[in-house]
Amino acid sequence: MSTTTVVNPSVQSETGSPRWFTLQHKLAPYLFVAPFLLIFLTFGLWPIVKSLILAFYATNGPKSNVFVGWNNFRFLFADQSFHRAVWNTVVYAFWSVVLQLPLALGLAMLLNQSWLRGRNFLRLAFFAPNLLGQVFVGVLFSVLFVPQYGLVNRALHALIPGFALDTEWLTNPAWVMPALVLTSLWMYVGFNMIYFLAALQAVDQDQYEAAMMDGANGWQQFRAVTLPGIRPVAVFVLVTATIGSFQLFELPYIMLNNSGGPDNSGLTIVSYLYMNGFMTGDLGYASAVGWVLALGLLAVSLLQMRATGTWKEGKV
Amino acid sequence: MNLFPFGKAALSIFVLTLLAGLWLVAQPAPHKTTTLTYWTFAKPHYEAYQKALPAFEKAHPGVTVDLELVSNTALASRLQAALLANVDVPDLCEVEIGQAGSLFRGPQKDIGFSDLTDRLMQTDASHPVSLYNQMVKARFSPYTSRGRIYGLPHDVHPIQLAYRRDLFAKLGIDPNSLKTWDEFVAAGRRVTVPGERYMIQFSDSDAGLGMEACLLQRGGGYFDPQGHCIMDNETAVQAMHWYVPLVAGKHPIGKDIGGVSSQFLTQAVENGYLLCMLCPDWRCKLIEEDMPRLKGKMALMDLPAAAPGGPVTSTWGGTMLGITKHCKNQELAWELAKYFYTDPAQLEERYRTLEIIPPFKGAWNLPVFQEPHPYWQDQKIGARYIALGPQVPFQYTSPAIVTAKNKLSEAMVACIQYYNIHGETGFEPFIRARLGRSANEVRALLNRDPY
Repeated sequence: MSTTTVVNPSVQSETGSPRWFTLQHKLAPYLFVAPFLLIFLTFGLWPIVKSLILAFYATNGPKSNVFVGWNNFRFLFADQSFHRAVWNTVVYAFWSVVLQLPLALGLAMLLNQSWLRGRNFLRLAFFAPNLLGQVFVGVLFSVLFVPQYGLVNRALHALIPGFALDTEWLTNPAWVMPALVLTSLWMYVGFNMIYFLAALQAVDQDQYEAAMMDGANGWQQFRAVTLPGIRPVAVFVLVTATIGSFQLFELPYIMLNNSGGPDNSGLTIVSYLYMNGFMTGDLGYASAVGWVLALGLLAVSLLQMRATGTWKEGKV
Repeated sequence: MNLFPFGKAALSIFVLTLLAGLWLVAQPAPHKTTTLTYWTFAKPHYEAYQKALPAFEKAHPGVTVDLELVSNTALASRLQAALLANVDVPDLCEVEIGQAGSLFRGPQKDIGFSDLTDRLMQTDASHPVSLYNQMVKARFSPYTSRGRIYGLPHDVHPIQLAYRRDLFAKLGIDPNSLKTWDEFVAAGRRVTVPGERYMIQFSDSDAGLGMEACLLQRGGGYFDPQGHCIMDNETAVQAMHWYVPLVAGKHPIGKDIGGVSSQFLTQAVENGYLLCMLCPDWRCKLIEEDMPRLKGKMALMDLPAAAPGGPVTSTWGGTMLGITKHCKNQELAWELAKYFYTDPAQLEERYRTLEIIPPFKGAWNLPVFQEPHPYWQDQKIGARYIALGPQVPFQYTSPAIVTAKNKLSEAMVACIQYYNIHGETGFEPFIRARLGRSANEVRALLNRDPY
């Protein structure tokens, strides 16, 4: 930055317009920021403000809006389908995070071992599912989960005696959520593993040596050295994985054939928002759903940061 | 360079941005020659229309039609967004029956489609019978809102049963003896072996694959002509009470595998896992293409009646063609709509491609419908469907149709879960309460509408 603030006297004398130069100098930062600001205000902030306004209207296109006050929110809190969507999303988020993070950390620790042969290949292999789009994964798993002929049932039937070939992963309400959680595990464990891997490599090796000299066993080293060392990353992964889980949309949308699934067992908050906004055309109600989701996410994230002590320490 | 003291990198970015902007500005706007834009979601329709368009364009010099194939899922949201924002709206658009109702939200003046009622009712010296009266009236019901018609029906879609003729013979089932559902279910109980063979493809999770057709056959539905929710009336309760034991409990005879069309369904039918399927006319072609090895082994039979003498068909699926208000040349769009939907040459050609009978009764005497079909044991499938056309039930709609369909599936799954645990004990009161709950949720949604 210092090079940009040095005024070259020769420039002033050559152009003969020191005022223009000063003006240009003052305006330049704003001009550089302006494109981003313009785009952000138009496509970021304005839609957010507009959605807040819409949440208080019954809408049928830009021409016919009727102000309904808090009615959309009142209806929302009494709406059984919304309750179901919230419950499903919370259950999905819980199981995704509870299973995903320990698995990702475990994998990262394993693939961080120097003795492991082919670990670069394994890192790529575990991360690879994340390179595929959710739509592709959704299509793939909806085929794998087909009863009678699907690969999952065939494999489980061969491995577990008594496992029914007819098991309906995507049409039986009891199996829909496990199917979604398993699919997302396959997709995201490798992604979170990369974060943990980077964090593990940043932990000071001297601390392990010191711990070993103090006689700490593997578990003690993990608790006293590894966990504190990766905590900022772990909190980041926890918060982003939770937010990502709450925003679940594409997988159930594809796997459950553009519906909430049997008995709405795969209906998520964002699916419900989409159905109302873009299939029923009720943008006002969809906006209300969106705002409740946003506020819910904010609350959950704050709770998580408080629970992990990050908020207090101001580390994030 | 001294005039730009912020470094070469910043200057490069600035110059590139400037050049890109200038390039964009300098691009000439594409010269649009299209007169009409037509969206369809069905690839077979798209291919058939593509063949038919040159003749229309030749008959209307200077007119060009831009035909676009849009996936059904994308079409619903794209059209919804286009109509809401009044941007990139097609002139004509085909909409799937299950989504049509949601496009009729709000005050009638703000519905995105043109009101076709007057055009359909119009008569003159050369056309003494209105187009409305030349078509199957029931097919207008899903595209009617508050007494006005917004869509021209593409099809009738009566349902028959497609069955494995060879396996029926082997198992000693005479299809001619299955006149009522009771007779059909009795035969089904005899031949169904859980996990190995099921009498019929009926879904236990999606009301759209079985339950809905049975409900319509019994005269029920989601809404009455005024748009009031009726999915908890006595007909619905009895239909649910009849349907659930077919897919749940100790002796189910129905199973869904592979949905409407998939390699898994093909495998299931070829392996004899499923013996029968509900078969509206649109499904014939799918079956022929998906299961070529079953040529000559499949046949069609009337749907068993709910009660002796009752209708022997129902309906499943459908498409409407709407002309959007955005269309600047409404007359020309109407001409195109009539050309595609009522021109006998078009309908004959399209039947050969799609095997879908038209709702335009004036075309029903075309010889093509009398042709025997080798795949179906030389049955005259066109004639069979046409004979059922007048019996097709009405199905009224509402802007809450998507929710209503979803709620019926929810109620069905809840009833199945109840039946699996408690059987017949307290089943009917449970159905009544559960359907009532679903219907009330739909009513609450409708009552929210301030228009």
